[in-house]
Amino acid sequence: MSITWDVGTVLLLVMAGLTRAAILFIVAAGLTLVFGVLRVINMAHGSLYMIGAFVAASVIQKVGGTWSFWLALVAAPLAVAAIGAIIEGVVLRRIYQAEHVVQLLATYALILIFDDLVKMIWGAEYKSVSVPASFVGSIAIGGRPFPIYNLFVTAWAMALAGGLWFMIYRTGLGRLIRAAVDDAETLEALGVNIPRIFAAVFVIGAFLAGLGGVLVAPLGSIGLGMDVTILIEAFVVAVIGGLGSFPGALLGAGIIGMMFSFGITVAPDMAMAFVFLAMVIVLIIRPWGLFGEPER
Amino acid sequence: MVLLGLLVYPQLVSRYYIVLSTEVVILALLATSYNLIFGYAGMVSFGHAAFFGLGAYAMAILTKRYDSPMLVGLLAAPVVAAVFAFVIGWFCMRTIRLYFSLLSLAFAQLLWVIVFQWHTFTGGSDGIQGVPRPEVLATYASYYYFALAATIVCMLLMWFIVNSPFGWSLRAIRENTQRSQFLGINDRLHKIVAFTIAGAFAGVAGGLYSQFQKWADPELLFWTTSANPVLMSILGGMFSFVGPAIGAVVFVALREIIKVRTEYWPLVLGLVLLTLVLIVPGGIVGFVVDRVRPLLSARKGQTSTP
Repeated sequence: MSITWDVGTVLLLVMAGLTRAAILFIVAAGLTLVFGVLRVINMAHGSLYMIGAFVAASVIQKVGGTWSFWLALVAAPLAVAAIGAIIEGVVLRRIYQAEHVVQLLATYALILIFDDLVKMIWGAEYKSVSVPASFVGSIAIGGRPFPIYNLFVTAWAMALAGGLWFMIYRTGLGRLIRAAVDDAETLEALGVNIPRIFAAVFVIGAFLAGLGGVLVAPLGSIGLGMDVTILIEAFVVAVIGGLGSFPGALLGAGIIGMMFSFGITVAPDMAMAFVFLAMVIVLIIRPWGLFGEPER
Repeated sequence: MVLLGLLVYPQLVSRYYIVLSTEVVILALLATSYNLIFGYAGMVSFGHAAFFGLGAYAMAILTKRYDSPMLVGLLAAPVVAAVFAFVIGWFCMRTIRLYFSLLSLAFAQLLWVIVFQWHTFTGGSDGIQGVPRPEVLATYASYYYFALAATIVCMLLMWFIVNSPFGWSLRAIRENTQRSQFLGINDRLHKIVAFTIAGAFAGVAGGLYSQFQKWADPELLFWTTSANPVLMSILGGMFSFVGPAIGAVVFVALREIIKVRTEYWPLVLGLVLLTLVLIVPGGIVGFVVDRVRPLLSARKGQTSTP
């Protein structure tokens, strides 16, 4: 396959990379936020994303019509957030003080459980959701067609990044979250209800995973296995940016999104290898990632 | 007694159980190899499948592609796995705790992608099918005996390793790295060596596995495969030598019992795992040692030795 490298091609690849980055950012932001505050790597984060996509598919199919997508966009992340609240109360709360391996295994157990629950409820067949009516079609970028829906996803992620930034750096909850990232013990000594902060953060993280699932639903097929795929990709993004760092997730998503988009065009067989290589190199040179801080 | 049982047993049961037992024996070797670094050295690697997979591919590629004798494959499997384990271990030791787990995972995933994509050498997503077995090991029973013998030899070697001064140094590092450094133990070197040894034995298990299944596929290196030895160690008990092997037995037994009743084996496994890590972190052996044995010895009026 030969590629002509004109401005249009590059622009198109950048746009495609941004769409990928948008989804990765939304999912990885939740993962990294949860790690930053709770110090737990939630292996089941990808499962929450998958549930978001399946719930969205059901809502859109059952309700139908123009507004079904918008309904799903609100309902699915909320449903996933509710599941997150249950997970936090039943499992996570017991393992905050445990060793990493216990946390990894407990949340890995959740992957297995949710995978089968999804299979029980929705079956093993792939599902697909059509692009919402308002975003059908494409516009010309660099003389080539580019789907409008992808632009919408990118715009949504950017708005969300702004919203999250506002929440973390400009609101009372955000101030508490940042304080909890720095030193949860002192914060608790100051009389702040830490368990409630932890629960809130986990629910926000779950909400973000669910949102990513809804947004990705019209972009491809929805099926079992998408949990593991996104988990690893979100992992790479969060690790490269620095686990626990919100700007890191943004940068990491941008880097990985572009690596996918350009990598698959230039060397399709090697794109994924480059992604993991990037993770390996970052972990060797700066284990705490580009924006993170060394573990205390 | 146990050994005699393992030897006589295939004569008494159907082929299904022989095949299953062979798998158990190989997985027991894998789990025990993992526990060298997990239980004894306290390193939580999430990439042990890489060495299992490399061993499997070393065996498959050499015997299938290059018609090498099986012995060459069986020797190459641990060597290839050990070389990679040494290099990966060397890099991973630069990081600690969670980042160690993440880096081992990242390396394993990198190897998985390479195996998955390198069609001309590894067969890509199809893997390598039709891994040959020599005439003498053609039957299920004979391969069971072979795998059992290989596993016993490897387990004995590992037993000597963990009970050597080296093994005790690993425990010291696990318990208190700083103090072991004061005692003059080079903790980084010890850990790299342990990681390499564990990788080599995982390679043997992999070589046996691809020959037993007559197939090597990329899934063997995937991170979800890495979770299995961790799981077996936790299940059986990571603080005992035989714990992980018992964990392997329980793992496969549980899987088979549940699979005939429901297709939702992962769900049950997830629930079991969750219960284990939340309630009985010592695993089955730990549970027996901590809870059951004191009860028994109290009845006899003795004190148990820890």
